[in-house]
Amino acid sequence: MSLTNINIIKHDKVSVRELFDAPLTLVSMNDETGWDNVLQDENIHRPQLALTGFTDLFTSERLQMLGNTEMYYLQSLDEDRRVQAFINIADRSVPVIMLTNNHTLEPLLLKIATDHNIAVLQTDVETTKAIHLISEFLDDKFAVQGAVHGSFVDVYGVGVLFIGRSGIGKSEIALDLIERGHRLVADDIVMFTKKRDTVLMGTGTSLVKHFMEIRGLGIIDVRQMFGIRAIRFQKRLEIVVELEDWDPNKEYDRTGLDESMREIMGVNISSIKLPIFPGKNITVISEVIALNYLLKTYGYNAPKEFADKLKEEIERRAKYKHGSDEQRHVSYFQGDEE
Amino acid sequence: MVEQTVTVKNRAGVHTRPAAMIVKLAAQFKSDISFIGENSMRINAKSIIGVMTLAAAQGTDLHIITNGADETDALSKMVALFDSGFGEPL
Repeated sequence: MSLTNINIIKHDKVSVRELFDAPLTLVSMNDETGWDNVLQDENIHRPQLALTGFTDLFTSERLQMLGNTEMYYLQSLDEDRRVQAFINIADRSVPVIMLTNNHTLEPLLLKIATDHNIAVLQTDVETTKAIHLISEFLDDKFAVQGAVHGSFVDVYGVGVLFIGRSGIGKSEIALDLIERGHRLVADDIVMFTKKRDTVLMGTGTSLVKHFMEIRGLGIIDVRQMFGIRAIRFQKRLEIVVELEDWDPNKEYDRTGLDESMREIMGVNISSIKLPIFPGKNITVISEVIALNYLLKTYGYNAPKEFADKLKEEIERRAKYKHGSDEQRHVSYFQGDEE
Repeated sequence: MVEQTVTVKNRAGVHTRPAAMIVKLAAQFKSDISFIGENSMRINAKSIIGVMTLAAAQGTDLHIITNGADETDALSKMVALFDSGFGEPL
């Protein structure tokens, strides 16, 4: 079971500097002040009550977002009370203040922020959208990541991860699938990132990219060799195929009625154990696995349809003892000899 | 070669789950195991589609034939499985 030694990486801080990678335009209002301050979770806070002086449950360690409401409130106060209101939040070691809608801080308040080593960033995006964009960005940054040993391929648009002991042929299967027009996401080391608790997104490592090792051949570059159509950068994980050596004493699924799942980084993923032996074409089986998954996703479950038909037939036979026991699919051959 | 006739006892007949149990049991033996159903078609007990094709309802008689090194053991276990009604209501 190569998934038991999955290597979990959890980021517990994101620096203000990294916020500039977020998908919105940010401008620093006080040079590089506080750019090394860190956020410790993905939540965003709008410090409305803190501005009014109620700081009891003030989550000051979060990103503080000041939008129209906060700014108009500050502007409604006279200068002394405005400074006091601002100090209410500035005093609490806030890492970063973000101003939306192109709002600016008057020099006096900006100086207070700078003196407290608080980064002040400005964006032209309105507050709701800014919250959405920053949340998505921070969610991804703080997401649980894991490195798995395996081959990850997009087969007919389904993300299939092959795992199994070293040397069982994961890379060879990936190569065979590429040759048949499918797309390699990563080989050997696959990095998964958890999204919204239910989705695992996989990609390669920045060093390995689409390089791959084939036993006896060495390292090849799939992108150079097969071109852009043979690769993709990221894919959602949908099925895990565990390759293992054929063991005649082991029981394998014969009907497919019970869908087996396995938990990876807290997400349940459809899982298939595939015994391999000489002469078995795993590539074609992998394509069938992907197509069957698509059929299920689109509402057709072959084992269930077959089981239902069988049940109907048994019931019919029980009702009319020795009715027709015709077994042929076509019950009467007319003259047509096609 | 040994053989014996059994009757399907459980109410639901040999639907998918009993069929899977039969195939799993059959796979444990080296002997060839086959069923002959009411339409006298011979079915390999190690083939799930085959066993399901029997579509054997409650009360159906099936003839089991085993042939090989462990044929008596295979036959008695298979008969016992049918007699148990596959753990389903009789």
